[in-house]
Amino acid sequence: MKGIKNEWSFYSLGDHAIVFSLAAKMDVQILQKIKHLNEFISAKKMSGMLELIPSYHSLTMVYDITNFLSSTEPASTQLLNFCNNIIVEFENYLMEQKNIQSTLYKVPVCYEKIFGIDLENISKTNQISCADIIQIHTAFEYDVYSIGFLPGFTYMGVVDDKIKINRHDKPRNEVSAGSVGIAGLQTGIYPSNSPGGWQIIGRTPWKIFDPNPNKLAKFKVGDRVQFYAISKQEFDSLNEYN
Amino acid sequence: MSIKILHKGIADSIQDSGRYGYQHFGVQPNGCMDNLSGTLANYILQNDLNSPVIELHFPSSKIQFLDDYIICISGANFVPVLNEKSIPFNTPILVHNNDMLSMLQPIDGSIAYIAVKGTYNEPNWLNSHAFNAKRFNNDDILNFVTLNHDLKLTLQQLIKDLDVSLIEQIQNNLFTNKEPIRFLPGPAWQDLNENSLHDILNKPFTISAQRNRMGYHLNGPKLSTSISKSYLSSAVTKGTLQLLPNGDMIVLMADHQTIGGYANLGQIILVDLPRFAQMKNGQPFKFRLTNLDTAQTLYRTMYAPFKH
Repeated sequence: MKGIKNEWSFYSLGDHAIVFSLAAKMDVQILQKIKHLNEFISAKKMSGMLELIPSYHSLTMVYDITNFLSSTEPASTQLLNFCNNIIVEFENYLMEQKNIQSTLYKVPVCYEKIFGIDLENISKTNQISCADIIQIHTAFEYDVYSIGFLPGFTYMGVVDDKIKINRHDKPRNEVSAGSVGIAGLQTGIYPSNSPGGWQIIGRTPWKIFDPNPNKLAKFKVGDRVQFYAISKQEFDSLNEYN
Repeated sequence: MSIKILHKGIADSIQDSGRYGYQHFGVQPNGCMDNLSGTLANYILQNDLNSPVIELHFPSSKIQFLDDYIICISGANFVPVLNEKSIPFNTPILVHNNDMLSMLQPIDGSIAYIAVKGTYNEPNWLNSHAFNAKRFNNDDILNFVTLNHDLKLTLQQLIKDLDVSLIEQIQNNLFTNKEPIRFLPGPAWQDLNENSLHDILNKPFTISAQRNRMGYHLNGPKLSTSISKSYLSSAVTKGTLQLLPNGDMIVLMADHQTIGGYANLGQIILVDLPRFAQMKNGQPFKFRLTNLDTAQTLYRTMYAPFKH
């Protein structure tokens, strides 16, 4: 099953998921539409809908075959109708929305060398001072494009060209929870200790994933994040991992 | 009043049907690798079909029962022995306090399941007892609480109710059926070059020794896309065929990450995933394209017997 409606394309992903997709770009306008489509479909609370997973330019819906579709009509016909209808309804809904706001989080980061273990490396590679890297990293508001890899891992963009840098060729065996890193044009936060290849510039004292069912991930796709620099002392007093 | 892991296996754990609804937080679904066998074991015991089961890989954990229980072993034939005596699978079995269960050798399949009549008395997380990367350790205690009525009577009734033809049909599908593994094309399917399109549909593949609950790495012809292309990460599902930059494929399994940025060539259909999960290393198989309507009709047929 696949189709196109206006700027949207949609297709089945295997036999129990469908994807709504826009142009494959890291673009905030596209991200915002994905975020709103997510909210729009989510609010319908349809039976048999198991998951809605937004990421960059796509929204994937995972469904339970027997509860979401009827057995009397071919699945492909039902899904094609469903997708076409969703897009029409969504575009009407979107036109009625005014002043759609995203949540902005101001996130503290300690960029001191004990945490910012790759600052020197970026400084050398990109011919820029460590102070400038920090200044540039904290100067922009970033959009959350995706959550994944690990529970709560937050992918944000777009970082300034002057501080963009490739992942390490060989990932570290362990990157500490809270580490803030850069990979290409993205910046991200490690939610837990894990292997990782991003270039680490600092650490946030915030716990961005909490297994408590009422908390879970701090951020969601479509949120905005701006970092601000704190000292090691402030880090210690704000540390949520204690 | 529990079940004890005397000696841990290589990758054994408690599983159920998994956890859905949290992938947007990056939380994996987890759950039984071969959900059909896990379901069958519970069905034979007339349990809730989502009840937690013990998933065993080989070499498997050695287990001691610290109470009397009715259990059922389904899935792979690892030659189960209770106190050194061979016991059948896919049937309810009465075990007694201090009995010891071990698995001798992998004859058919790769993953076995033990369902227990009663309740599993541990806290769940986000509605599931399947935890990512949590494996048994020596001396772990599994808090299964047995029935508090006559086990012998219950056993007789369960044996009387056994649906022998259903069990046989499922066993044949999982371990005798050598038909190709069917899949639906994914978003990067049309990016494969002509040779690769031919190879994936005609040449045999095998599952390599690099396999775990996250994914099965395949051996087979190297595949490549016609243009070098990078993909923005998007959601993946169990059964996703990911093409790695070196031309190998990985099939994502129950503990897969929620999103992936490799070329997504397709998804194995749900009805063929248990059979695929059970394949042994080195056993050759082929892939075949199918369509959505067929996949869903087959799925409804496969799970229909469990619905009443």
